[in-house]
Amino acid sequence: MLEFRQVDTHYGDLHVLKSVDYRIAEGEIVCLLGGNASGKSTTMKAIMGSVVPTSGHILYEGRSLKGVSTAERVRRGIAPVLEARRLFPRMTVYENLEMGAYTRPRGPEFEGDLARVFALFPHVEERLHQLAGTLSGGEQQMVAIGRALMARPRLLCMDEPSMGLSPAYVEQVFDIIRTINRQGVTIFMVEQNANMALQIADRAYVLQTGQVVLSGPAAELRQTELIRHAYLGELQVQS
Amino acid sequence: MTDQVDPKVGVIAEPAAAIGRVLPALRGWATPRTRAAGIALVLLAALLFPPVIHNDGDIDAAANALSFAALALGLNIVVGFAGLLDLGYAAFFAIGAYAYGAFASWQLQPAWSGFWEPFQWLDLVARVHQAGGDTVHFQVSFWLMIPIAAAIAAFFGVLFGAPTLRLKGDYLAIVTLGFGEIVPIVARNTPSVTNGAQGLNGVLPPQLFGFNFGVDATPYYYVGVAFVAFLMFTSQRLKTSRVGRAWMAIREDEIAAAAMGVNRVHYKLLAFAMGAAFAGATGTLYVAKLQTATPEMFMFPVSVMLLVMIVFGGMGNVWGVVVGALILQMLQSWFLQDLSGWINAFGRLVEVEWLQHIQLASSIELIFGLILVSMMLFRREGLIPARRRVAALSLAEQSAQVGRGGIERLSGLGRVAEKSGEPLLEVKDLTVRFGGLVALRKISLSVPAHRIIALIGPNGSGKSTLFNAITALVPAETGTIRFAGEEILGLPPHRILERGIARTFQNLRLFPNLSVLENLLVGMHARLRTGTVGAILRPPATRREEAAARERAAEILSVFGNRLLPRAQHPTASLSYANRRRAEIARALASQPKLLLLDEPTAGMNPAETLELVEQIRNLNRLGLTILLIEHKLDVVANLAEHVVVLDHGELIAEGTPDAVRRDEEVIRAYLGRQALVA
Amino acid sequence: MVDYAVLLQQVINGVSLGAMYALLAIGFTLVYGIMELINFAHFNVFMIGSFVGMWALELLGLSGQSQILTGLALVGALAFAFVAAMLTSGVLGVAVERIALRPLRGVGGTTGMITTIGVSYILFNVILLGAGADAKNYPNPMPVVRWEVGGAVIDLREVLIWGISFVLMLGLQLFVSRTRLGKAMRATAQDSEAARMMGVDVDRVIVTAFFLGSALAGAAALIFGLYYNYTSFLIGYTAGLRAFTAAVLGGIGSITGAMLGGIIIGLIETLGGQLIAVRWTDVIIFSILVLVLVFAPSGLLGRAAPTKS
Repeated sequence: MLEFRQVDTHYGDLHVLKSVDYRIAEGEIVCLLGGNASGKSTTMKAIMGSVVPTSGHILYEGRSLKGVSTAERVRRGIAPVLEARRLFPRMTVYENLEMGAYTRPRGPEFEGDLARVFALFPHVEERLHQLAGTLSGGEQQMVAIGRALMARPRLLCMDEPSMGLSPAYVEQVFDIIRTINRQGVTIFMVEQNANMALQIADRAYVLQTGQVVLSGPAAELRQTELIRHAYLGELQVQS
Repeated sequence: MTDQVDPKVGVIAEPAAAIGRVLPALRGWATPRTRAAGIALVLLAALLFPPVIHNDGDIDAAANALSFAALALGLNIVVGFAGLLDLGYAAFFAIGAYAYGAFASWQLQPAWSGFWEPFQWLDLVARVHQAGGDTVHFQVSFWLMIPIAAAIAAFFGVLFGAPTLRLKGDYLAIVTLGFGEIVPIVARNTPSVTNGAQGLNGVLPPQLFGFNFGVDATPYYYVGVAFVAFLMFTSQRLKTSRVGRAWMAIREDEIAAAAMGVNRVHYKLLAFAMGAAFAGATGTLYVAKLQTATPEMFMFPVSVMLLVMIVFGGMGNVWGVVVGALILQMLQSWFLQDLSGWINAFGRLVEVEWLQHIQLASSIELIFGLILVSMMLFRREGLIPARRRVAALSLAEQSAQVGRGGIERLSGLGRVAEKSGEPLLEVKDLTVRFGGLVALRKISLSVPAHRIIALIGPNGSGKSTLFNAITALVPAETGTIRFAGEEILGLPPHRILERGIARTFQNLRLFPNLSVLENLLVGMHARLRTGTVGAILRPPATRREEAAARERAAEILSVFGNRLLPRAQHPTASLSYANRRRAEIARALASQPKLLLLDEPTAGMNPAETLELVEQIRNLNRLGLTILLIEHKLDVVANLAEHVVVLDHGELIAEGTPDAVRRDEEVIRAYLGRQALVA
Repeated sequence: MVDYAVLLQQVINGVSLGAMYALLAIGFTLVYGIMELINFAHFNVFMIGSFVGMWALELLGLSGQSQILTGLALVGALAFAFVAAMLTSGVLGVAVERIALRPLRGVGGTTGMITTIGVSYILFNVILLGAGADAKNYPNPMPVVRWEVGGAVIDLREVLIWGISFVLMLGLQLFVSRTRLGKAMRATAQDSEAARMMGVDVDRVIVTAFFLGSALAGAAALIFGLYYNYTSFLIGYTAGLRAFTAAVLGGIGSITGAMLGGIIIGLIETLGGQLIAVRWTDVIIFSILVLVLVFAPSGLLGRAAPTKS
């Protein structure tokens, strides 16, 4: 469904992503793991269109995303859950959800989408008219996921969904991710918390300073020591 | 103004760019000798102008133009050098003018008393016999008033500048605009001092050895030339001195400037004061020539005109600013008049009514607006840019092998008075809070002298925040930080640098438009002594200090072999990423630190570059420099550090040797995340 | 001895003026909220709006204050003038953004603001050169109708101002709180990156902000002309200062703040002029501006000081 082919990105003259390949098939949950400054966030930005690759291709459902605007990508079915949530703090929960559906035509579908979000996140419905900035971190994360779902995505890109959350909320979030996936949404998730991510993922890629150093089924990666090495910055990269 | 070096030049801008290219091209031939000859030629032309032109109207216009050139030079210090956008600059012009008006005219006539007798003896006042009683007539000499007016204006410069110290660029501009408007309004509404809108009366013309300047423009013209020449000399001297570098550092990156030892408050106020002084002195000259002053002469449009002059001419460039001012003044008083005349004649020729009556001179403000917009859109650096073009590196220089060594010349770096047993840096129970978020919680850590300690932890664990707290870039809520036996918590950043702690930044905070060498010299700011007077007069002590500083900078650059030395004159924005990292470390070293805080120094470097830097860091440590290092490449850490401290979510979760830490359960959990509670 | 009737009159005048300043301040704060840009050109767009309103009324054959219209004719004439002034101002505002500001998007610091100073100068001088420096007599077809209230006088103009300002501000509030584009505007002002990720066309939002803000300024401009029966090339400067201070006082970036700030400044102007002296009102207002910026930059209702470096 989503494919990175030999993608390079640069920040000025700093080479961030180096000939990176990913393949995410429809219906999968795929994790992107890695330590500090590995290029995980840049990957998300490249998918959404904030960062333009300097070489290589990003393909979505077979078509290149080159030159496609962010708004169009959302319309085509890619929705982001941003790092640190980034809800609109002075808008209500309801308005945030509305903004999630910005690219969708306003009509009866909106109500249906809203109902679906409420089903997943009952607490969200309780706080519907509260200003988003006043919610706790965990509640905000729920709303952020709900906001992304309002766009009826086929591919959900999540950037560090567990960051800053208490363990209880992390559990909830990961449960919900599983549920959403079962409902048919493909998930591409950047995570620092490798252990939890590997519990729910089908496959994973491990990035280190912009290069993919490990990849494979989550079950395999869970067993290996290599992940630890990659995170702690020890793995030598085979060129 | 943090204007990046911007290569973008639109198609329409080609003519402007071409002019700009011609001048630097000429500059390529400018050896010191030809430069001196050029200056002499210009000076000669200026001196011969009145006898050659011999038209009082033109000389008058030229004299006025010189006043505005002087003002532009003053504004250039505030805006061009220090990056403080002052939209109320004309206020200082007014203050200087009215000061002269107060002390050298018939405007103020207080009643006579014994108090005034010493002043009468000094010939500063005269006793006037009036019907209602004797009064004081102020007649301070013009020549004496120039420095006095400058001082008064400088005082107001500090007064108006002080509230703006913490404001960002656009807010600062508005506040200065506010002050700039309040002054003429006050002037208009206090007629007892200023005679309000009618203008000062009875302003005394200057006298020189008995020769009264009178109404002829020529003597004012020559004074103007001397004025502008002096101010240009002063500006240029300041620019290439420690003071000018401090200003430019503030302009480029205030935070980094503070971290490198620049006292921001002092230098910002100095910029305001200096700029105001220039304007105050010019106000005296202008009013003496005009023989009057009205509030209209000092309002917002004048400040804007000066801004247009320096934007047009080249902000930050002393010659550029003068050329810009002169061109725009000449435009207004000569060229447009002549052009209007031609258009009028043409209109008579083709019998088109409105052409015959066009007066372009009155549309000068429209032209100013057009110039301002065009320059901002197409050529922000102005006609004569402040940044010199630097010759590209020859192929040989580019591919030079990296020479190792040069480090021996830096002996003495990091030498610390050995206090037995006590660590160099001791942090105890440090807590830093941002709003509701606790970034660091009761962190305690000690760094023994001459060691390398590494600080590691996942994203967001507080490592950089710890650096920021130590260097006083963020405030700490509780705790203590002792350095070399003394408490440093609470000191401002530039004092911390003075004590001997220097740092680099995770996201690189070099001064992009300054050269590598200038960056290093700013790093040395706290170790040099030259002040304003020394900068202008350049006594032998100052010259020695500068020469020694440059030598030392070269020594530091040679730590990195041939990577930085050939590029010493290049603006750091043009360097490769790895070289910028090295330059930042060099800048920190320039401050002769005892403790060096390196924040991810190898980020973005390939393995070869990383290895090279690791060796250089190790060499620096061997010289005695104590290093606290944030790194996430654990092999780098293992190579360099004997002791590792691990942070997670603002708390210290482990410390020990690199090996021990690597195997520590807590550390692994911090990086890889907690296991699921339910499988 | 305080004459309450006089004070009441000044309060009434102050509210009317304040409403005008509020309309002007809103346009200014809309742009700042989204782009963190101080748009100096805004106040001369206002000035041009008032000239356009004048020309629109003259086009209808009106001149001076002696030609009165009533009923539908009056409503029609005024509506025509308002539409003309608001549309022209709106388009002018967008043109300024397109030509002078869009190419500078991304360049930080004070560059944008300096450019708007240049644009402001251009607009100012085009009118000065084209229409002359003299104050123009504003065609005003409104009949003179007065009511006595507690010793003070309210006339039809006041009612007009209050009515129109209320409608416009209500309209704007509804726009930003109920419509898709309006909410997109609020979202962009709070987090433009996240808004973009939701599929918001940030360019379009910016154009809308400029258009709306400038159109409101156009309305304020026509109100100015009808209230004072004159206009000149200088009104941008005088009203602009007050509106700017109003926006800052109310909290830059906050629409309700601009409304509140406008009323406060209007009252300060009239009451200050009454109780202190008219010639010092400029100084008072500048002082408020400086004090707010230095000591309380987020104003009364605004968010924390901007983060742009």
